Amino acid sequence: MIEDYTEGTGTAVVGGTEQRASRSLVALLWPIALVGALLSLIPLWLGDSRVMMGVAVLGLTFACYAVGFNLIFGSTGQLFLCVGALAGIGGYGSAILADRVGLPLLLSILLATLASSVFGGLLSWIAVRRSLGVIFTGIITLIFSLVFGNLLLGAAGVTGGDGGFHIQAGADTFLRQTIPPYYLMLALVLIFLLTHGLLRRSHIGWAFRALRDDEVAAELAGVNVALYRVTAAVIGAAMLGLAGSLFALTEGTISPTTYGFAQVDVETMVLLAFGGIGTLFGPVLGAAVFTVINELIQDLGQLRLLVYGALIIALFLWVPRGIIPTMGDLIRRRNE
Amino acid sequence: MIANLLDGIVLGLQFGLLAGGLTLVYGLGGVLNLAYGQMAVLSAMAVVLSMEAGLAPIPAVAVGLVAGGLLGLLLDLTILRPVYRLQGEARVLLSLLLTLGMAFMVDGFLTWRYPTKALTLRIGGGPVEILGVRMVRGGVVASVITILVLSGLLIFFRKTTLGRAIRSVIEDEQGARLVGIDPQRMLRLILVLTGVLAALVAVTRSLVTPVAVTAGFELTVSALIVTVVGGLGSVGGAIFAGILLGIISTFAASSIGTVLSLIILLLAAAVTILIRPSGLLGVKE
Amino acid sequence: MLEVRGLTAGYQGGDVIRDIGFHVDEGEAVMIIGSNGAGKTSLFRAVLGLLQPSSGDVVFQDEGIGGLAAQRIARLGISFVPAERHLFPRMTVQDNLALGAYPNRPDPTTMKVVLDLFPRLAERRRQHAGTMSGGEQQMLAVGRALMSEPRLLVLDEPTTGLAPKLAAEAYQALRALKENGLTILVAEQQVPLAMALSDRGYVLENGVISKEGTSADLAKDPDVRRSYLGIA
Repeated sequence: MIEDYTEGTGTAVVGGTEQRASRSLVALLWPIALVGALLSLIPLWLGDSRVMMGVAVLGLTFACYAVGFNLIFGSTGQLFLCVGALAGIGGYGSAILADRVGLPLLLSILLATLASSVFGGLLSWIAVRRSLGVIFTGIITLIFSLVFGNLLLGAAGVTGGDGGFHIQAGADTFLRQTIPPYYLMLALVLIFLLTHGLLRRSHIGWAFRALRDDEVAAELAGVNVALYRVTAAVIGAAMLGLAGSLFALTEGTISPTTYGFAQVDVETMVLLAFGGIGTLFGPVLGAAVFTVINELIQDLGQLRLLVYGALIIALFLWVPRGIIPTMGDLIRRRNE
Repeated sequence: MIANLLDGIVLGLQFGLLAGGLTLVYGLGGVLNLAYGQMAVLSAMAVVLSMEAGLAPIPAVAVGLVAGGLLGLLLDLTILRPVYRLQGEARVLLSLLLTLGMAFMVDGFLTWRYPTKALTLRIGGGPVEILGVRMVRGGVVASVITILVLSGLLIFFRKTTLGRAIRSVIEDEQGARLVGIDPQRMLRLILVLTGVLAALVAVTRSLVTPVAVTAGFELTVSALIVTVVGGLGSVGGAIFAGILLGIISTFAASSIGTVLSLIILLLAAAVTILIRPSGLLGVKE
Repeated sequence: MLEVRGLTAGYQGGDVIRDIGFHVDEGEAVMIIGSNGAGKTSLFRAVLGLLQPSSGDVVFQDEGIGGLAAQRIARLGISFVPAERHLFPRMTVQDNLALGAYPNRPDPTTMKVVLDLFPRLAERRRQHAGTMSGGEQQMLAVGRALMSEPRLLVLDEPTTGLAPKLAAEAYQALRALKENGLTILVAEQQVPLAMALSDRGYVLENGVISKEGTSADLAKDPDVRRSYLGIA
């Protein structure tokens, strides 16, 4: 699955515009369909094991996180180091609204997702208004993450503190079965990919590329940089919130480490950087590879961290720009 | 009241020293070292192991400082090599990812090999009275050491040729090259120096509270936040911000408990960054 | 003293200067003139190690320096004053000058010579470089370059951003330096000023040297008169 940014964005010849657009839609749909088809086979292989399906669901959740993060960071250059926190707002939000407030489950999910989205948009709006660069946006959102984590501990009466709590809502539905959650998360991944892909192909995507390449030039060309940044953050944060919410509901338990900075943000950033920041399928490829890696080094106990660190170093020394862009270069060079 | 203020200064000075190291490397080389806290912890473990091997505390501390410096050198000679080939944001990002990997490796190794070890240095004698307040002797000694080191650093950067040369690279790298300064060598020097500083933070902290093998991440994050509040690349700003945040933190901790105080500290940092993105003492780009 | 042969260099988009050859002899002042975008800055960057040449030789005092890092070339006795000056804005005038002598401590005699040449700098020794006017910054940049007691002083458009009066003053200072025996290589758009200073000159057009000669001859050349001196 090699992605080429420029494909489908060339200047359209008058009269050929529609045809070109529909062809580019097909060019977007078939790889997503292929990914979906391949991944839908996994339960045939691992469906017997509740543990392995759990691992697979977690992998898909990370793919979702990575798509959301990719939309915000990869497409508009905002380093959101609060992936876990935004997912946590979705997760804790829906669990608390459903269990403690007693709202219907679907409404809870919707409201919690909305809350993540609002927070994401707010953070982006602040960053844009104050013209924070990559590093400063990173620091502000990192602070947001740490505040969120501490609030979870501080408000133990509602959140269950360090240990979290068991979620009652959805307990006897398909959400807690072995295989259905897998397809639920897979559907989510595909919808997110399609959303991101469509955004990139619309004029919003054109603006994304313009402002990632050269913000000043983009602004001069009439791109409303602020609007596109905030839009990307609102959509991306909604993805994070929804994924975080559904993941918690399929797990049936929730705790601060479910959304911890070290557990979620670091992993998401690493797997996306490995797959290729800004590429459409980087999140899926990265999530797949790192899910397998994590599974392989699971038995190492504390040494797991050491191996994980060594892997991060090795991967980025080997492919500092990520696997998809690097492969793309290799193939292009061979063709020349 | 005064006790809180003094405690805050003790904590703040350590924040300042920690952030000073991070800010120098960033300002000089565009490298964000996320393994900085782990460098401190590794140095602390070097002290612990030396003492267990029978060394007296002071030589053991010397071993720790040397270890810190060597770690800085090692970073420069190994995983930062590919980082140096990049420029701008790509450089920051790769340095961040590679040092993060390093941090995981260190954490993994230490929690596997020495899961329960911690560095605690005790100084004999009772509390010291300052401004009518009885202060723990270890804290006072730690502060005195930190103040001496920070003053030494400021003198080094303002008065010596080498110190000025290092500052000149932060100011204008190309200008520095034109007068014959090799930025790469200055960066290596600073990595060694900040390694020693990290070790020093571990040692002075251990006079107040145990430094455990798992302390790395927290140290790095504190340093990062203090650095940004003070202004990236500004050592004076790092010290100032460190003391400010140290005081806020101890006041909040004594009045409303640690979890909330941490939140207040974080929010104070966020507000400062938003009001002055260039940092308290930083210069607008 | 300095000899450049067949120098070609550029950026990713392609070569900016091609097959450049020129030389500067001891005690001479040599100018390189050309319009904006002719490649003067790229030429100097390539000679001084700030831009990697793709081919060609640069020899300074019988030693090949092509492709050496800028900081090594600086230590061999060539001081470069770029058009953007590259001062250290948050350091004092005095510290800027002192760093010019790096890695040595500043020599008091040299410091006195520089401050006598630019009395304004003496008045503002403790001021931060970044807070000074354009003319003062230019003086400081030249002063810093002189602190290492260079054999050769290279200046890229020293009059950039200066009012005509200040530009003339800058060239007066350069003339004084030349009379003291310093070898000077200068790139300039304000050709009359450079012509009055220099013994010889080269005309750079679209990345290649199109003419060379003594400054007196170049001043008589009809093309040069038309293009660079504004005389029909």
